[in-house]
Amino acid sequence: MENILYRILNIAQTYPELAREVTTVLRWVFVVLAAYILLLSIFSLLTTRCTPEIWGYFLVENGGNYPITHWENVIGRSRSADINIPVRTISGNHAILARRDDTKWILKSLSETSDTVVNGYKLIPGRRYLINTGDEIVAGGVHCTVAPASIEESRNNEKMRRLDKEPVAPWMILLAITLFQMLTIVQLIISMGEDLTPGAVISIVLLCVVMWTYVMVFKAMGRKGFEMEMIAFFMTTINLAVTSSWNPGNTVKEFVSMMLGLSLMIFMCFYMRDLERTRRLKPVLIGLSVIVLILNLLLGTIKYGAANWITIGGFSFQPSEIVKLAFICVGAGTLEELYQKNSTIMYAAFSLFCLGCLAIMGDFGTALIFFTTYLVVSFLRSGDLSRMILTGVGAGLMGLMVLRFKPYIASRFDVWGHVWEFADDQGYQQTRTMSFGAGGGLLGLGAGNGSLKYVGASSTDLVFGFVMEEWGFIIAVLLVLCIITLTIFAVMSIMAGRSTFFTICACGAATIFLVQTILNVFGAVDLFPLTGVTFPFVSTGGTSMLTSWAMLAYFKTADMRRASSLAVEKEEHNA
Amino acid sequence: MRKQERRALICLLLAMVLLTGVVVFGARFVKEGGKWASFYGNSQIYTEGVINRGTVCDRNDEVLLECTSDGPYYSDDWEVRRATVHAVGDPHGNIASGAINIFKSQLIGYDILNGTYDTSAQGKRIKLTIDARANVTAYEMLGDRTGLVGVYNWKTGEILCMVSTPTFDPADGIPEDDGNGYFFNNFLDGTITPGSTFKLVTAAAVIDNLPGRDSFLFDCDGVNEYNGVDFTDVESHGEVDFRGALAQSCNGAFGELTREVGASAMQEYTEKAGLTEPVDVNGVMSARGSFTFPADDNVTLSWAGIGQADDLVNPCAMRVYMGAIANDGEAVQPTLIKSATFLRELTGGKTLGRYLEKDTARELRSMMKNNVVENYGEYNYEGLDIYAKSGTAETGSYYPDAWFVGFTDDENAPYAFVVWVKEGGYGSEVAGPIAREVIRTLEQNNS
Repeated sequence: MENILYRILNIAQTYPELAREVTTVLRWVFVVLAAYILLLSIFSLLTTRCTPEIWGYFLVENGGNYPITHWENVIGRSRSADINIPVRTISGNHAILARRDDTKWILKSLSETSDTVVNGYKLIPGRRYLINTGDEIVAGGVHCTVAPASIEESRNNEKMRRLDKEPVAPWMILLAITLFQMLTIVQLIISMGEDLTPGAVISIVLLCVVMWTYVMVFKAMGRKGFEMEMIAFFMTTINLAVTSSWNPGNTVKEFVSMMLGLSLMIFMCFYMRDLERTRRLKPVLIGLSVIVLILNLLLGTIKYGAANWITIGGFSFQPSEIVKLAFICVGAGTLEELYQKNSTIMYAAFSLFCLGCLAIMGDFGTALIFFTTYLVVSFLRSGDLSRMILTGVGAGLMGLMVLRFKPYIASRFDVWGHVWEFADDQGYQQTRTMSFGAGGGLLGLGAGNGSLKYVGASSTDLVFGFVMEEWGFIIAVLLVLCIITLTIFAVMSIMAGRSTFFTICACGAATIFLVQTILNVFGAVDLFPLTGVTFPFVSTGGTSMLTSWAMLAYFKTADMRRASSLAVEKEEHNA
Repeated sequence: MRKQERRALICLLLAMVLLTGVVVFGARFVKEGGKWASFYGNSQIYTEGVINRGTVCDRNDEVLLECTSDGPYYSDDWEVRRATVHAVGDPHGNIASGAINIFKSQLIGYDILNGTYDTSAQGKRIKLTIDARANVTAYEMLGDRTGLVGVYNWKTGEILCMVSTPTFDPADGIPEDDGNGYFFNNFLDGTITPGSTFKLVTAAAVIDNLPGRDSFLFDCDGVNEYNGVDFTDVESHGEVDFRGALAQSCNGAFGELTREVGASAMQEYTEKAGLTEPVDVNGVMSARGSFTFPADDNVTLSWAGIGQADDLVNPCAMRVYMGAIANDGEAVQPTLIKSATFLRELTGGKTLGRYLEKDTARELRSMMKNNVVENYGEYNYEGLDIYAKSGTAETGSYYPDAWFVGFTDDENAPYAFVVWVKEGGYGSEVAGPIAREVIRTLEQNNS
């Protein structure tokens, strides 16, 4: 293979004009391939909706036969209850009916005013009771029972699900990404010549190998849905190309971080198959996060304006990036937990602690990400819009105070919206991003041909412009669409979700990705002050790459499409 | 779970924010991309602050400026360099309205699909509408004097000649201090006392407002005292009618005509002639002329009607007005670029609307011919079907400014022109020959 590469280098150097022509053509090929890869994955993710599975029936006297489609259900009079019994003696949110991993049912009364009686035994509100199918439940005087899904019904259900559209087969996409990666190597050789390190080339080749191995292994295990991974592998390819163009010596590091992230993601997927196990991990995660953040405060070194780096044995990493992973898990909760009083206090306290640490570090971009995620997650938990607005306004006022005391940040707000007037001082990075980015046009100048790389933080905070210049506006926008797609997928997954725990995880992860992308893209092109935040998967940076991949696990756990996700045990589908 | 389903929509709201932002940015990218890409910070296309690709040539493919990564190369002919520098511009952007500035994004070969990507890295060739030879003629005729010559095709809007003096040789180094007005393009940026050329506006107002103008008679004694103020003429014209008054450029007669027309009609016709608005030349706005016509001060009003008092005209706007008279009242927008893009080709010859009624334009045209016949001498303009008005504007200097404005109406030479020589002396004698020689050069070069 080395031979081939040197031959390409030789040809590129001997016939520079031919090489230019090759780049001219490749620019089109890249855009077409990227559009094919991403649009196919996006389309598949958004159209293969699954029919919710029926786990049993809730039978109510005098009619009423409610299929139970979630693992966690609210029984009550309220219209938003999953099992909605419009009888006046029943409370709005009367009780929770939850399915356990071992297929047993749990009943928990939420109502203080209206009784729930099982087989003549009055349940104490707030306590969980194991019930059997067929037990007589009297809720607010109404007789009901839980019936198992009959075998026949299961079969019907099965038939229905067979009609569901299957996720797109990964092979064509894999081939397209592989072609994309190989051509990227060719293009980088043309544009960078001997500056391109062997490590950079090998990293891209290894990424390709890892990608095929991953798909083949999990395909062999009977999994079908790979769109999210395909999107992530594609974005990682762009990352490696950006890193190679920026500083080829760093590409290997990116690849290793991606491997760590991928391993962590696979581990998380398997670990989170067991909901109880995952829930029990929460205090551990809180403890670890607190330790890591405190260590950061004590040992932190300042890089790029914020003291959010720790260097241990020559390795620098950003603890706050990793705490993001824990932050989501801590914020999630089962439906039961959501109805426990004071359940949010722990989460609020943890959030406050994280935000405080970030404020001391001076990392306001990450603080904004944590804060927005906190708002979204607590809204998902409580549904209390007014409290959310109040918190938001309060934080906004705090933010204004910060601006008063941190002139460095205030100056970024000063130039916001008119960076061209400050093109050579505070607006330097944004104007270069837009200028070089526009220079890329729709198709880009070709990987390695950009000039934005000579501007500070180009491959991290300004990576949107980096991609615009070298890969073109179309691919840059497609990358943003990938993030939006993951979000839509996370929201859609709730419709068939098992537990609120997983759906809150998915929405929390989506929020983090979204806010990061918003801050990164908007900051670089002057739609928002520059905050110095990474673009998931695409920005150079080991910790960012690791976290982005690990974060993908939260999306995978929410993927309830039939035999799709490695994060969901096959038996958990009605087999 | 159903509650969480609904609450999750808040994530979609955030996604909408991201999408909206990208759409807004996309719109800006489409609209401003060329401007962004040609920003001086873009080191792909700038070497040491100077644009490093693209060629500017004249309408006959004579190269005026070649930008390379080794620096800019101008024409070998020093006269061409000096004569075209205001049209071509300097690489440092001192001349804001220079082609290198306005057509930057075309010069670097920017288009939205490819950005600045260019296999040859040589940029694009911008073809200006000017004729380098005609510019040289104009420059030679102006000599050391401050002045301007502007000629454009009143049918297509193509600017053929645009020379402003004082000028400089960009190959000799860019002057650091612009105390001498080297960077100032009199034609686009200047506002100048129009003198008698403004009588063409007053005449239009007279034609439309005074039905009895054919019986108008004025006895010019050369002094023409009104209200204790002398509206002196060079000589006594004796008894002149309306046509004769324009031909002889009789201040006394036009003072009286202005008073008869009145302040509000004067204001209206000045605006209709487009002299109070800037002219858009490929996105560069010319300076805006200014005039005051006091209704309660007949003396000042009279001066204003003959192009004195506070009257300040922009030469480019004056030339568009000349074009409108030639074109039966319809004005055509001037342009400096020749079919650089398909779009320009389509928008070339874009009308600016009707400045004059057709009959008014026809009558003015006939009177401008009469000026040439009666006063300037057709024999001086042999071979040219020329229509003109001279001007000798008093600016307080010892020598007045010389003006010569008008148009030719040949099939191959539909040219509207404006010539102004600061402190040049008597209008038709000084500025007339400049117009003649420039148009002749144009005819030789472009027929």
